[in-house]
Amino acid sequence: MKTVVIGIALLVVGGLAYGVMSVGIASMKHHAWEDTIIPYENAHDHYVEASDEFATADKAWEDAGRPASGEVHDEREDALEHYEHAFEEYDHAEHAKIDAHLSYLTWKTAGITIALMMVVYASFYLVAGFFNSIQPDDDPYAHDGDHEEHHGSASPILMASGILLFMMGFPGFVDTCKAVLGLDYAADYGGFTISVVGFMIAIVGIGNWWREDLAGHHEQVALGQPFGGQDIRKAGMWIFLMSEMMVFASFFSSYLRMRTEWCTQWAVDSGRCVGPADVVTASDLLRHDIGTLLPGAINTFALIISSYTIVLALKTAKDTKWTVSDNKLMAKLFPTRKKAVRNYLMMTLALGSLFIILKLIEWSHLVAEGFDINTQAGSIFYVATGAHGLHVFIGLLVMLFMIFKADTVGYDEKNGRGIEYFGLYWHFVDLAWVAIFPAFYLY
Amino acid sequence: MLFTLLEVGAVYVSGLSVYTVWAILIGVGIVKAYGIAAFFMHLKGDPFIYTRTALFPVLFVALMLWGIGLSNPDSILGLPDWCTPNYDWAYVIE
Repeated sequence: MKTVVIGIALLVVGGLAYGVMSVGIASMKHHAWEDTIIPYENAHDHYVEASDEFATADKAWEDAGRPASGEVHDEREDALEHYEHAFEEYDHAEHAKIDAHLSYLTWKTAGITIALMMVVYASFYLVAGFFNSIQPDDDPYAHDGDHEEHHGSASPILMASGILLFMMGFPGFVDTCKAVLGLDYAADYGGFTISVVGFMIAIVGIGNWWREDLAGHHEQVALGQPFGGQDIRKAGMWIFLMSEMMVFASFFSSYLRMRTEWCTQWAVDSGRCVGPADVVTASDLLRHDIGTLLPGAINTFALIISSYTIVLALKTAKDTKWTVSDNKLMAKLFPTRKKAVRNYLMMTLALGSLFIILKLIEWSHLVAEGFDINTQAGSIFYVATGAHGLHVFIGLLVMLFMIFKADTVGYDEKNGRGIEYFGLYWHFVDLAWVAIFPAFYLY
Repeated sequence: MLFTLLEVGAVYVSGLSVYTVWAILIGVGIVKAYGIAAFFMHLKGDPFIYTRTALFPVLFVALMLWGIGLSNPDSILGLPDWCTPNYDWAYVIE
């Protein structure tokens, strides 16, 4: 019942965020944006007119042999002054229009993103509640005898097989969805079916994995080398992170390889090519203004702080001598060890969600400024930062499960390792951002 | 946080050469990455096998960077003299 209430609460928060931000504030911002369009068009016409006037006066002045005084000279000076004034007004009107447009996009994107994330969070909470309700009520740590050794789980293999099928059929899935939406695409029902079956297998795998993890199990220890004596889950997580490093390394190497060929503003400034620059990178659009760089900078803080909050969750879970703080606010925020762990995880979730919201706002601004995925620079930027964002989002989904577990079964010194091993993944995502931020935003 | 401010500040400070900004970005990035890996991921206190596991892909990253260098248009002509001792430049000029 509690999960149903929380699921509905999440949906209400998402609906409110959408209503207030995407409909309410965004429509006001849209009006403000529309109000800047007519002044912009007037300023543009005025600028074109002044430009023509100046060109005519300049030609007359040239034809007259560039006199230093007289009627022709004065007319040219007046036209030049008029032109400069018109350009200033045009420039001001253009900036006002762009600022109003970006402000509208900020609110609209934020509202939609929060609403979608809340729908996903609510769905996850409801599914987790369902799996929790169907498991037997026995004490997961009651069987400490030698005969109760954990014998592994097939759930990860089931989930991976499901994802494999889902990805195999994904192009057909996308084409079919586009065809159903009335776009000019031929439906591929074979691919669509494979993808849907794969998705269902993955959900069953994830669900069963949750059920097993909620029930608790004994930690398997590696017997052979090189990880002899170490927890198998920890060794497995590190090997998984190793493969993740290779994925991000391939993004970086392709970006660096392309970047060494491009004649960007940075390359012009460093004397590596002769200007003008012929490739615009995301950093060219982001790094010159604190307003455009702010989402990326805040995201860096958010991820690093979220890494710290998950460390605090682990520390609290393992601390058998944990006591309530003397500080009233802290005592309210963290009244018991179980709730303290849950609240630290919720703080991590909030910071990760902030990252996704700011990321999409930033993307919407870049697309509005014409930096889309159709260029080489756009392609590598969106693929690399998108892959990272996807990792953050998947981490948030796992975090939801952990919050659910912290709220129901609870984490303590016996099962706190789950936070530690997930924390390794979360810290890796932070680590990848530490490289992505300077490479794609500042360089 | 201070490190991020340092990175952003390096880009904004006028007068710094792009090579100095590069050095700051790479240096700060390495310090941050070390901090996260050593303390948050507690590689510092864990058995060395985990550090070896984490460093294993670095070998491939180095190979990829080497490949980038070799396939770059400046890979030979752009190298400093100390990198190409006794190199026969006449061959390149031809």
